[in-house]
Amino acid sequence: MKTRVAILVLVILLALLPAIAGKYALYVTIHILLLSIFSLGFNLLFGYTGLLSFGQAGFYAVGAYGCGKILLAYPSLLVGIVGGVVIAGAVSLFLGILCIRHTRIYFSMLTLSFGMMIFSVAWKWRDVTGGDDGLVGIPRAPLEIPGFFKINMTPMENYYYVVLAFAILAIYLFHRIVHSPMGLAIQGIRDSETRAACIGISVRKYRLLSFTIAGLYAGLAGSLLPPLESTVTPPVAHWSYSAEPVLATLLGGIYTFSGPIVGSVLFYLLKDIIVRFTEYWLICLGIIVVVLVMGFRGGVMSIFLKEGGRR
Amino acid sequence: MKEIIRTESLGKYFGEMAAVHEVTLTLQEGLFTSVIGPNGAGKTTLINLLSGYILPDRGRIYFREKEITRLGPDKRVKIGISRSFQVMNIFPRMTVFQNILLPVLSRLNKTSSAFSSLKGQKEAVGEAEKILGEVWLQEEKDFPAGELSHGDQRLLELGIAVATNPQICFLDEPSSGMNPIERIKVLELVKKLASERKTTFIIVEHDMDIVFSLSDWIVVMNRGEVLAEGKPAEIRENQEVRDIYLGEEI
Repeated sequence: MKTRVAILVLVILLALLPAIAGKYALYVTIHILLLSIFSLGFNLLFGYTGLLSFGQAGFYAVGAYGCGKILLAYPSLLVGIVGGVVIAGAVSLFLGILCIRHTRIYFSMLTLSFGMMIFSVAWKWRDVTGGDDGLVGIPRAPLEIPGFFKINMTPMENYYYVVLAFAILAIYLFHRIVHSPMGLAIQGIRDSETRAACIGISVRKYRLLSFTIAGLYAGLAGSLLPPLESTVTPPVAHWSYSAEPVLATLLGGIYTFSGPIVGSVLFYLLKDIIVRFTEYWLICLGIIVVVLVMGFRGGVMSIFLKEGGRR
Repeated sequence: MKEIIRTESLGKYFGEMAAVHEVTLTLQEGLFTSVIGPNGAGKTTLINLLSGYILPDRGRIYFREKEITRLGPDKRVKIGISRSFQVMNIFPRMTVFQNILLPVLSRLNKTSSAFSSLKGQKEAVGEAEKILGEVWLQEEKDFPAGELSHGDQRLLELGIAVATNPQICFLDEPSSGMNPIERIKVLELVKKLASERKTTFIIVEHDMDIVFSLSDWIVVMNRGEVLAEGKPAEIRENQEVRDIYLGEEI
């Protein structure tokens, strides 16, 4: 009950944010929401399925480029976002078939390799991706369903509500998934794939499902980026970008539902604060992550939770 | 008596070593069967082959006259074959209840459901509760499984193995690491489950007193081959079996 009240209060506060905060706060909050979606998907693979992927930025980039290209050709926000997510989902399904046959370091290296291939495509395929210049001039197209409504997205506040709605939907669906029979099956695979197979669970099938859902989440986070920034450039596909959900999840806690969300808030705020004082912000952030991982192996959320709890 | 599983010239080789060699065996439905033999005799490899955990290099396996030689372990579970492991193999981060619920959901083909709640799975929840009672773990249901005592983890593994409602269940040293009193308790539980659930249990066990008192049929393995099989009294009198146990009283 307390958790539900806290969630309700948080949603109300987030809904009221445009009325009480400036544009920069909205911009930062949008980025935190994007990282939260990105990290949740990553943690479905890592915390729930036991697969450490270093290639999630690839799917993020596919979503971002997919949405950017669609918006440049057909300026409808919903079509752009949904299109980006679908393309990212299709790519993650295809690459997942190749990756999920392996586990541990082999899986991680495969995802890293495919992620870097996507980066190379973004960098080199100038005719489609714009090369190192990326895609520019992407419009923040109106949110419309022809014949029903059309909402102008030029004001940041309006777009913030779109991102907030997608984030709430993504978090809600994630909660449903991890607390469903399928969620239990993937946790079983994480704990013991041999035991899971010997109770009738198709390990590859559920790994592929988890991989594809994680790709869809990365794709959604990526699709929400171009309308905000009006541009997409290759660094979003770089492996170092894949480290962001990893760090955020480690900060928040891999074995808690809310860990990646809390970690995303901490990661982005720490980054935002440290970067004001030094360009070597990654070193400072690295030290903080090392201290947290060594001191609180379950992440920040482990401090607040009872042992074995999962919130 | 009806045949439940049969092998023909089954073989598994690791380099030069024949872990299982030319094993032709028929296991009968309803007979409490024990597989015995010295260390390295191939007992665990045989169970790994029969449960689909590893695939044979040679030979065939039939389950109720249907060939299952190349069938994976998850698909064998679906047709009624289950197992436990020599080394503890449970889901340590999940609760005791979830450990039992998952195989029940798997049997009911409900694990693909991505948006329904676990609490809403009334049939599976009811069955899982019942199985928890059968393996004496009702009071520990909300504990993380990894925090149970060794003996309770063995009971849990037994519960997981029977939760798929198998027709035949292989138990690889189900009482290993337990004291003699716990051993007898666990193996009597297995016997009770066998009669109540109509499941055919095949166990690998080292304690000869328990094996000879509980088994209806005994298969003796040595160096990857079946040395002898028969009723406990027949095995007890078999000179070759006595020899491999170095003349021990068995």
